Amino acid sequence: MAQIEQSDKGGKKKKGAQKKMAIHVDFTPMVDMNMLLITFFMLCTTMIKSQTLQVVLPSNDPNVDKKDKTEASADNTITMILDTEYEGINPKVDEEGKTMHHIYWYEGTVEDAIAKNDLHVTSFIGNENKTARGIREVLQNRNEEILKEYKALKEKWKNKEITRDEFQELAKKNSSREENKLTVLIKPGPNTTYEGLINALDEMQLAQIQKYAIQSVSHEDSVLIEQTNPAFIKAPIRQIIEPASKAAVPAAQPAQ
Amino acid sequence: MGKVKIKRKSTLIDMTAMSDVTVLLLTFFMLTSTFLQKEPAMVITPSSVSDEKVPTSDFVTVLVSSESADERLTPEQRQQEEGKVFLSFAGSTDSTYSSPYVRKRILEKAVSIYNSQHEKQKIELDPNQIQAFSGIHMFGVPFQFLPTYLSMSDLERDKFQKNLSDPNMGIPYDTFNKDPKSSRLNELQIWFRAIRETAEGISKDRKEALKASGATDEEIQQMEDFKKALQEGKGIGVKADRNTPWTVVARVFDNLQTMSLNKFIIMTSLASEDN
Repeated sequence: MAQIEQSDKGGKKKKGAQKKMAIHVDFTPMVDMNMLLITFFMLCTTMIKSQTLQVVLPSNDPNVDKKDKTEASADNTITMILDTEYEGINPKVDEEGKTMHHIYWYEGTVEDAIAKNDLHVTSFIGNENKTARGIREVLQNRNEEILKEYKALKEKWKNKEITRDEFQELAKKNSSREENKLTVLIKPGPNTTYEGLINALDEMQLAQIQKYAIQSVSHEDSVLIEQTNPAFIKAPIRQIIEPASKAAVPAAQPAQ
Repeated sequence: MGKVKIKRKSTLIDMTAMSDVTVLLLTFFMLTSTFLQKEPAMVITPSSVSDEKVPTSDFVTVLVSSESADERLTPEQRQQEEGKVFLSFAGSTDSTYSSPYVRKRILEKAVSIYNSQHEKQKIELDPNQIQAFSGIHMFGVPFQFLPTYLSMSDLERDKFQKNLSDPNMGIPYDTFNKDPKSSRLNELQIWFRAIRETAEGISKDRKEALKASGATDEEIQQMEDFKKALQEGKGIGVKADRNTPWTVVARVFDNLQTMSLNKFIIMTSLASEDN
């Protein structure tokens, strides 16, 4: 491994003079071992830490006072009904590999929408060339003023004029302003995947909407959809297979 | 023409530089990464623009399994693996290794609630089984199966957890009970109540009682941190696959709401704003 080389460049040497030695240590085994360790760490560890999204749902407690519940005024309400298209038991995906989610939305009360035959269909498109499209366009246009302020704050934070904590606090104050009256009702339909709902919650965050609720689709909603968009009913839905037996067999106690 | 003389060179390559590089890489990986936790079910979380990180301590994970990705199975078999619920409890400082105390207390509480609600089917755990529970990262079995599960060796447990369609996999949450004080809570609700009560049981006089029962200051501190995290809504995280139908996840959410744990976090992966 470690080799000691004699340097004999100088031709004849003086007698008694110490020989100069260069020591070479072969590092190949060391490299081998390190590579093995690196492989081990790469396979057994993860560097991506999951992100989180905080949600606050209303309590199920039936004893909650009526006065604690917030009432939304009809003209500032948008209702989003979510739906996902299926192919067999898996959600259908488009060419880009994105799941096909559809959003049916209307403004105001469902009775008005039925009377006016007013239901819009869109999807989660996100941004196209930095401009909001799809449902994002709808929501962000409604919340323009709040968003303008929010963007100004974000700019300040990016220019290091304020810290991250200050930015978060100011953004929170901004989004809970009096003028932010928009209320969104998110109604995941029976076919919606979990991703569909998270996408909707994301849009709330991006549009700085403070008031939103997750509800189930009402009978009137399905009447409205049936009336305006019969294609919805025909869209392929997920095959639901009832589990044969749900009850778990109690296992016997092991002999001690 | 003169003969071309080939100079003989040594084939030894100096590996010192290479070694330096690999050691640097190794250091990098060791410092930046965390170990993968073994989970009974693989899920791909949906993406979100929210960029808050998952807390590593004082955290309960509720994992909801998705349908099997195994193409060889029939759709019926694949769907049987969907919607099973698993729990993991992490105490302070490190997610796996320093939370036996919290786990033990939650287990004791859950078993006592279960036994008080099921007089005829009481389960009993010996100290060895309780010890085994404190070392398990993620679990999900019905109470009746718990003693058997905890008596298994690590190897047997791994083998058992491979088969997700086993009826004893996952914590049952079938009955739709909406009353948190009901005497007929489902098993998932019992666990949630145990988590809540364990965290909330840390008041001043309880502290004295805990000390008397042999808990160290550090362990009491752990419980207090856990309580704080739960109150802030950062103590419980739901992890589910993006393609799992909402109706399946909604049942888990519903149980959380019923047990007044309506402030919680959803685990997601990062997405850019443009998508």
